[in-house]
Amino acid sequence: MITNLLNNWIKPTKNRVKMAMSLTLLLANSLSVYAQEPATLANESDKKKQVENIIKQANLASYYAGDDGSAEARMIIVDENGKRQMRQFTILRKDQQDLGDQNILVFFSQPSNVKDTVFRVEKKLANDDNRWLFLPALDLIKRISAGDKRTSFVGSHFYYEDVSGRNPQEDNFTLVSEDKAAYVINAKPKDAQSVEFSHYTVKIDKNNFLPIETTYFDHNNQATRKMAVLQVQEINGIPTVMKSRITNLGNNSYTEMQFRHVKYNVGLPDSLFSERSMRTPPKAWLD
Amino acid sequence: MNYQRLLNFAIAKPKVIYSLILLVTCLSLAMLPQISIDTDPENMLSQDAPARIFHNQIKTDFLMRDMIVVGLVSKSSVFTPETLTVIEHLTNDILLLDGVIAQDLMSLSVVDNIRQLTNEQGVNQGIVFEYLMKQAPTSSQASSEIQQAVKRLPMLNNTLVSGDDKAVAIYVPIVAKDQSYIIAEKIRALASNIAAIKQENLAFHITGLPVAEDQFGYEMFVQMGVAAPLAGLAIFILLWYFFRNIVLIIAPMVVAMATVLIIMGSLIGLGFTVHIMSSMIAIFLMPIAVVDSVHILSEFADRFKAGDDAKKTIKKVMGHLYKPMLFTSITSAVGFYSLMLTPIPPVKVFGAFIGTGILLAFVLTITYIPAYITRMKPETLAKLQRAIQLMEEKGRLATVLAALGAFSVQRSKLILIAFIALFAISLAGINRIEINDNPVNWFKADHEIRLADKVLNEHFAGTYDAWLVFSNTQQQQQSALDSFQQALVSANDGATKSVISQAFEQWRTNTGADKPSFFNTELLIQLDDLRFSASNLEQPWLEQLYTISEQAVNAQQIFTDPNMLKWLVKLQTAMVNKGDVGKVNSLSDIVRTVNRELNSGDDTDFVIPNTSNGVAQTLLQFQSSHRPQDLWHFVSPDYQRTLLWLQMTSGDNQHMANIVTWLEDYIATNPPPINVKHQWAGKSYLNVVWQDAMVSGMIDSLMSSFVMVFLMMVILFRSIKYGLLAMLPLTFTITMIYGLVGWFGKAYDMPIAVLSALTLGLSIDFAIHFIQRIRELEIEQRSLGRALMAMFQEPSRAIARNAIVIAIGFTPLLLSPLMPYITVGFFLASIMILSALVTLVLLPALLTLLDRSRNTSHDINLKP
Repeated sequence: MITNLLNNWIKPTKNRVKMAMSLTLLLANSLSVYAQEPATLANESDKKKQVENIIKQANLASYYAGDDGSAEARMIIVDENGKRQMRQFTILRKDQQDLGDQNILVFFSQPSNVKDTVFRVEKKLANDDNRWLFLPALDLIKRISAGDKRTSFVGSHFYYEDVSGRNPQEDNFTLVSEDKAAYVINAKPKDAQSVEFSHYTVKIDKNNFLPIETTYFDHNNQATRKMAVLQVQEINGIPTVMKSRITNLGNNSYTEMQFRHVKYNVGLPDSLFSERSMRTPPKAWLD
Repeated sequence: MNYQRLLNFAIAKPKVIYSLILLVTCLSLAMLPQISIDTDPENMLSQDAPARIFHNQIKTDFLMRDMIVVGLVSKSSVFTPETLTVIEHLTNDILLLDGVIAQDLMSLSVVDNIRQLTNEQGVNQGIVFEYLMKQAPTSSQASSEIQQAVKRLPMLNNTLVSGDDKAVAIYVPIVAKDQSYIIAEKIRALASNIAAIKQENLAFHITGLPVAEDQFGYEMFVQMGVAAPLAGLAIFILLWYFFRNIVLIIAPMVVAMATVLIIMGSLIGLGFTVHIMSSMIAIFLMPIAVVDSVHILSEFADRFKAGDDAKKTIKKVMGHLYKPMLFTSITSAVGFYSLMLTPIPPVKVFGAFIGTGILLAFVLTITYIPAYITRMKPETLAKLQRAIQLMEEKGRLATVLAALGAFSVQRSKLILIAFIALFAISLAGINRIEINDNPVNWFKADHEIRLADKVLNEHFAGTYDAWLVFSNTQQQQQSALDSFQQALVSANDGATKSVISQAFEQWRTNTGADKPSFFNTELLIQLDDLRFSASNLEQPWLEQLYTISEQAVNAQQIFTDPNMLKWLVKLQTAMVNKGDVGKVNSLSDIVRTVNRELNSGDDTDFVIPNTSNGVAQTLLQFQSSHRPQDLWHFVSPDYQRTLLWLQMTSGDNQHMANIVTWLEDYIATNPPPINVKHQWAGKSYLNVVWQDAMVSGMIDSLMSSFVMVFLMMVILFRSIKYGLLAMLPLTFTITMIYGLVGWFGKAYDMPIAVLSALTLGLSIDFAIHFIQRIRELEIEQRSLGRALMAMFQEPSRAIARNAIVIAIGFTPLLLSPLMPYITVGFFLASIMILSALVTLVLLPALLTLLDRSRNTSHDINLKP
């Protein structure tokens, strides 16, 4: 999915390719405008292809940046009374394949009473993700199975799905509008029962294909939840979301996530993503 | 002021009086549309009452909402696909209503389940976080799986589904309690649209204090529109019965209407809300306002002979009645004004406006009535006079009163003994009085709110909430502060250091009573932010400061301490075993449930983890659900305060008061492992607080008005003896009324408490009129015996007539569907009759006895 934020460290190697693709897309756009009148049917399928392309690009930009990456994250959760809580963790990620499966490790460092708590995820596109949890104080590794991916990520406004990525196959997309700067795409879930929203709109920056604003609507067509990118920075020449916020529009509570020490293509070994690393944090990759 | 001049003016310029009254009444009438109704019992406490401030603070801090409880009750189990489908359907509909806080709504279809994941062989594969019932099941197998799951979730069991599985609840949090009636109505409509509710034979109920209160407000509004005009009508009919002259009785009706409208108009115009108490002002003032007019009309009819000059007669009558009317009005007003001594704002407003209303009615009576009478045609006056004479001489009232007079004089000793005995019995009754109130009982027993309340509390652990809050009292950690300061002092100077020093100084010089701990999340975030901008030289000591602060913050989180949580578990168990409390929901339930599922899933693991970190990590898991925010209803994000949600099956203040006392004892004998402060909040608790305030406040108000009235009596009669005598009827009446309340087991609630002041204010009237007249008559007749005989003619009839007018005037209250109105109507009617009787029986008997001891030569024969 496009609101994914943890995984948007883009491979520098892909950067040029991406630029080229953007150009192609722009060309395709203008072409389709000229081609509108003669063939409406062809136009429809063109449009569909165009949206699919944008989504694919956005997905790549947000999720599959680099072959691997590491970053320190700080979440500040602000409740409706304005009370703040802080969580800090380090994420290690390695892609199996672009737009394919991924391995992720999340190591908690703050608050200190949850220090060394670890999440491990094997993200599978074809079926459910594998998820594990290590709780040091209970000396416990547990496999987690969840009914859905729209549960809170450790009490924040980010859902597990916002962190691991929503599969584009689950939604139907339509291009609502576009201007010089961005596309606005509407997404409707294929299985309405599987999610709590009725649809969402996402604004994708034409320059870097990063989704910069996503708004979710309930069944009364009221906007209920909003993701906004607050800061983008180039890391090794890759546009990277450094700060973003998800707001519960019902009570204006929100969580802000900030990244620091973002690194791409650090050469994380596959063997790192194992149960062993959960009990014994791989210090070398965490500092 | 010289009343004679005012009277002359009123008689000379009636039109000025008329237009003045009309003008003021119209002005007041214009205020009425601005009415705002207030039914929140919370307003029984003033805005700045500490208990109320704390309650609202807790509501904000722990995001506790006002809840409407929707219940569906089945004859058999609710765990069938059909019933669960109804729940899902109804929940989805309710979630879309305006004013409902969707994220906090509790229903089977929106809450989470945490359970073990097992493979076909039953081998543990991990844990599952999921919606308990995302969609209603289609098979009975799947339904019973949900049933099993609920049984394993202590936070839901007996809260969302009853222990007997026959009832299921939806807790609907709402944004504002004054919307609860309208939301409840919408939910009722939604439910009536679901055909399956009927098909499945489900009984649908709505309860919860906000609904009860808001519905009460709605019905109160209706009552005001019905009861006050009905009281007016009753009085009108009664006056017609007494005087048989429509033209004449229009005058007291005008006085009553003008009084009520001006008082209600000014109440609303001055920006006061109409509370349950003030809604009764109209009904109270109506009968009280006509009383003085009845005296004037009675006496006027008595004295006026055909061909007389009405002006002269009325001047004589007014000269005669002015003083007792002034005094009765002032004493009644004092009785009501004394309510302003109570610490309960609605009662204060009620007392102030009725007191003023009585004085206003007096002013209207002494100006308008004489003006009106002198403008009446001679024929009408003659007719009136004939009718009165006819009624007075042959009336049953006259015969009964004459006999009563003879009886009280002849059997004076017997009467005295009987009164002393009654007084003693009443005192015994007062000792039996149970102080209790319950806003749900403000509805009649067959009201749908009462029925829902009864049914749902039979099935569930309780729909009444009280919150027990424990807070950390030992925040300041000296050693951590010292290390922090030390590290800061040795740091290199620069912008970073000065920012921190400044924050530290600011905190250090704060001398507020509720000084928060220096170490908190804000500080940690600030230090963490500074690490970004800080130079390499600053990094080491910044790191050190962060570590010191983080450890201090951690140490303050006493509600992750296993010993503390274990102590809470014990307290909860003891509380439920004690009774009155159906269930306690707390942080310890969350921790134990998640811990059980993280481990084996067996009951043996339904325990608190052994370390603080274990607790924190368990809670981190709980927050990885669809409803992480649920945690903050039970603990503050800094883990320094925890809230226990008590579900009680009754809204009786007494039960709540019992628990409060019990807790003090429990904590004294089982001190917590860490020093904590405990405080109560929640609607049930607030009701106890204002009830206590009311009971003590009422005693103060009664005592002070008693003294005031006594002093006024001594001044009025210029005699201590007569002052004391005047106080006797009301003393007896109040004692007997409260004795009755005690003996009948009627709870001493808000309306009953307010009655004491009313009794005092109203029953003194009769004594004043009686003593004033008997003293005049005694001088006139030069014998107490003859004076008493005369007394039991016209003067006693005026007293009796007045008692009847007020008593009957209050009877429309008996038709109300709301209990406080019925109680007030019933007791006021009884008080009026009783105090008139006591005056007419006790005073002659005592006067006779006192007279005999002084002068035995009197021959008393009252028989005509």
